[in-house]
Amino acid sequence: MALQSLKSVSVLTASRATPFSFAIIDVQLLRFTLLAICALALYAAATVPPVFKIDPARGLNFKHQNSPTPLKYLIETMGGGVALLDYNNDGLLDIFLVNGGRLAGKMQSPEDFDRDDPAYWNRLYRQNRDGSFTDVTEAAGLAHAGAHNYGMGVTVADYDNDGFPDLYVTNYGKNKLYHNNGDGTFTDVTQKAGVAAGGWSASAGFVDYDNDGRLDLFVTRYMEWDTQHSKACGDAQPRYCPPGEFPATTNILYRNRGDGTFEDVSQKSGIAAKKGRALGVAFADYDEDGFADIFVANDGMEQYLFHNNRNSTFTEKGLEAGTALTDDGKPFSGMGVDFRDYDNDRRPDIIITDLARQNYAVYHNDGEGSFSYRTLQSGLAVLSGGSSGWGVRFEDFDNDGWKDLFVAQSHVMDNVEKVDPSLHYLEPPLLALNREGRFQRADSGVSTPLAGRGAAFGDLDNDGFIDVVMTVLGGRPLVLRNRGGATHWLTLSLRGIRSNRDGLGARVIANGQAQYATTAGSYLSASDKRVHFGLGAATSANVEIRWPSGTRQVLNNVPADQFLKIQEPEHP
Amino acid sequence: MRSLILYLGLAWQSVSPDVVQHVQAGMEAQKQGRLKEAISEFKKVTELMPSLPAAFTNLGAAYMQDKQYGLAIAPLKRALELNPDLIGVHQMLGYALLEQGYTREAIPHLEKAHLQDALGVAQLKLGNYSAAIPNLQAALQKRPNDPELLYYLGRASGLLSRQVLDTLESAYPDSARAHQSLGENYAVLRRIPEAEKEYREALRLQPNAPGVHLELGQLYAAEKDWPKAEAEFRAETEIEPGDAETAYRYGNALLEEGKLKEALAELQRADRLQPDMPETLYALGKAASLSGDAAAAEKAWLRVVALDKNTSLAGQAHFGLSTLYRKQGKTAQAAHELSEFHRIQAPEQK
Repeated sequence: MALQSLKSVSVLTASRATPFSFAIIDVQLLRFTLLAICALALYAAATVPPVFKIDPARGLNFKHQNSPTPLKYLIETMGGGVALLDYNNDGLLDIFLVNGGRLAGKMQSPEDFDRDDPAYWNRLYRQNRDGSFTDVTEAAGLAHAGAHNYGMGVTVADYDNDGFPDLYVTNYGKNKLYHNNGDGTFTDVTQKAGVAAGGWSASAGFVDYDNDGRLDLFVTRYMEWDTQHSKACGDAQPRYCPPGEFPATTNILYRNRGDGTFEDVSQKSGIAAKKGRALGVAFADYDEDGFADIFVANDGMEQYLFHNNRNSTFTEKGLEAGTALTDDGKPFSGMGVDFRDYDNDRRPDIIITDLARQNYAVYHNDGEGSFSYRTLQSGLAVLSGGSSGWGVRFEDFDNDGWKDLFVAQSHVMDNVEKVDPSLHYLEPPLLALNREGRFQRADSGVSTPLAGRGAAFGDLDNDGFIDVVMTVLGGRPLVLRNRGGATHWLTLSLRGIRSNRDGLGARVIANGQAQYATTAGSYLSASDKRVHFGLGAATSANVEIRWPSGTRQVLNNVPADQFLKIQEPEHP
Repeated sequence: MRSLILYLGLAWQSVSPDVVQHVQAGMEAQKQGRLKEAISEFKKVTELMPSLPAAFTNLGAAYMQDKQYGLAIAPLKRALELNPDLIGVHQMLGYALLEQGYTREAIPHLEKAHLQDALGVAQLKLGNYSAAIPNLQAALQKRPNDPELLYYLGRASGLLSRQVLDTLESAYPDSARAHQSLGENYAVLRRIPEAEKEYREALRLQPNAPGVHLELGQLYAAEKDWPKAEAEFRAETEIEPGDAETAYRYGNALLEEGKLKEALAELQRADRLQPDMPETLYALGKAASLSGDAAAAEKAWLRVVALDKNTSLAGQAHFGLSTLYRKQGKTAQAAHELSEFHRIQAPEQK
């Protein structure tokens, strides 16, 4: 009001550019401008609310059990998978959490991790209409994870195209495939399906690598390690050994035969030709040839980019494509990974989380099968140099049309402060907002340092803004509800006909932004299968979908702020 | 030793056949490595001729050869009592005393024998670092690849440095340099808050003290806290605008922050201040590459590999060149640079 009472007065003032001439400025306008600038600065400094609020998540009473021991078994510090899935198709995302197991002193072989004790069960929580959760683990038939299995991660997809999402749980031990019966229960079909793997599995993901309409399964394995051949490193202060102390191992690719069974094609596909120490996996078609490629995050060595040769074989092209090492030619401790376009040039880029003092690696897809290390230009060196990251995602949390970044953080060593007082075991997660390709730290709403591990992303409350569930090693998971905003959005549910039913592997463009339909990525975790776009100020979107079958579908002027089901055309 | 035997030989005529026999038997046994037997024979000589320095010298030498340094001391001392000018005996006694921990007593003998290596070690043990260092340096000039000497010289230099700084900290605890020194100590221990506090106090006391901002910047850089590192390096460049290292570190911090244009300008300045510094050239190449100036990047990295053949920095430059050529479609050159990178990496990985 004071502004309105001011009299507009024209004054003469010397112009710096032309010292002998005079310019006329409006005092009222000047005052208003200054006030507005001050107000904006204050708003930016003090009043921007956190993007998320911590949801007490009534009914979600899970506590991860990693059972840390003085023997420093590596599995103790690596677990914590989480999945967001709508297992009963009621339109609300439910939460599946992977538990560790009991470790007590020197383990005997075969190990018994006491998984029959309810404290060590994996848990499925059904989301209720009021946002609370109900533990349905027993009723769903998911209570028994196998006595000899220490839990790691989970992936989700409808592998048999029956309309209900199935669960694949990775373990140190044998993995488990749980078929969703469509009536709220699951059946352990691991043996019949032939996907138990063995050894130490970490992240996994469903992907239709041969575009036959059936989702195949990729399973990363960390290393050749078992409790009988474990060791701790460090003399005065025992600590978890670095991965190089143990032999590398192969990843596994299972081809879906379509009859409920899978064939291990690791050897003949070329995947097993490269041994690694894999922790993360993500899929995208980086060279736009219509076939899914596979990126594997390896710990303490080169990262692997498996290029799909379009004939059911893969060639590892990390070095050739520029994604194997940092721009200084250095390996790093790859853990979580996401394979998604962050700079809106429609080509999928890569981010890999790693340990403190390494920088999270960002590889920009330059086209023609080539990537550039963009950690410095993207601002990630400033944001991540002192932090260790696990679960990760490029996702547009503020719906401004640019994918932001969320990372679950914590060092791998629970006693790292004793080894290096300048490092920290517990850290709050990182949220960084994308400002046209450069990331800036933002308030996630979580200031408490935690041992973050897995992270799954999805719209829990169907408000059009993406929420996060982050696991905490040896602790309770964190449910982060997005506070939302005034920006517009569009979320697509894909229904494949010739392609796999979930439409995983579809490349979707909306108003120039690209998304790749997948539940994989992050670390040990599976996210909402729906494809989400932030539209900023736009109230509609032009959408183009390229289905895994090759079918191209275009929808123009799709109104914003809706969940839209899109079915693949029956004919190309 | 040989001269002592000769001395004994000259006295041959005046000694009994018994003595000659024991001396010859002792020398023969010593020659054949039967040291216990030699010692026994030489002992008999000292009993038969208690005033003959050479007799005690031979006994002491046999003990020394048998590594019985403690037992060597008495006969060697007796030899010197009888003839204080026997340099070789001073040498042996000096070594024996030093070996047995009688360092202070060893020093005059080592000085007389001009044994700079042992003298330097003795002085080091007694805490006389400033005296030890020139002796060890002189010895090292004669045996430049002796790991023992390298170790002792390094240790003496380090301890002298510590001693001087301890004096600084105790005599002038409130000086800027004392706080800087404490900051350095904490920095080594990775006790960052304490280090930071000491550096800040140093700067409060002496805002323009050269080097403090640089060290504080390095502390932050090691933490990968690039904005803070940048601020400190920038402050140091204002104090010491002609210092190439500061300019390089400032440019590198800017580079880590993704401020490519500013980084490039500062690294170019560092390169002008001190041309052919491989670290600057590598960072310059990186800044140029990230800025899209492939020609400048290539030039800088080629210079790095010309200056540094087998260092990890050269490996990084080869990797950068490989990436650059790959992007340009120069497949063969890219493959060559990659193989050079692997060649340098391989021994490092071992």
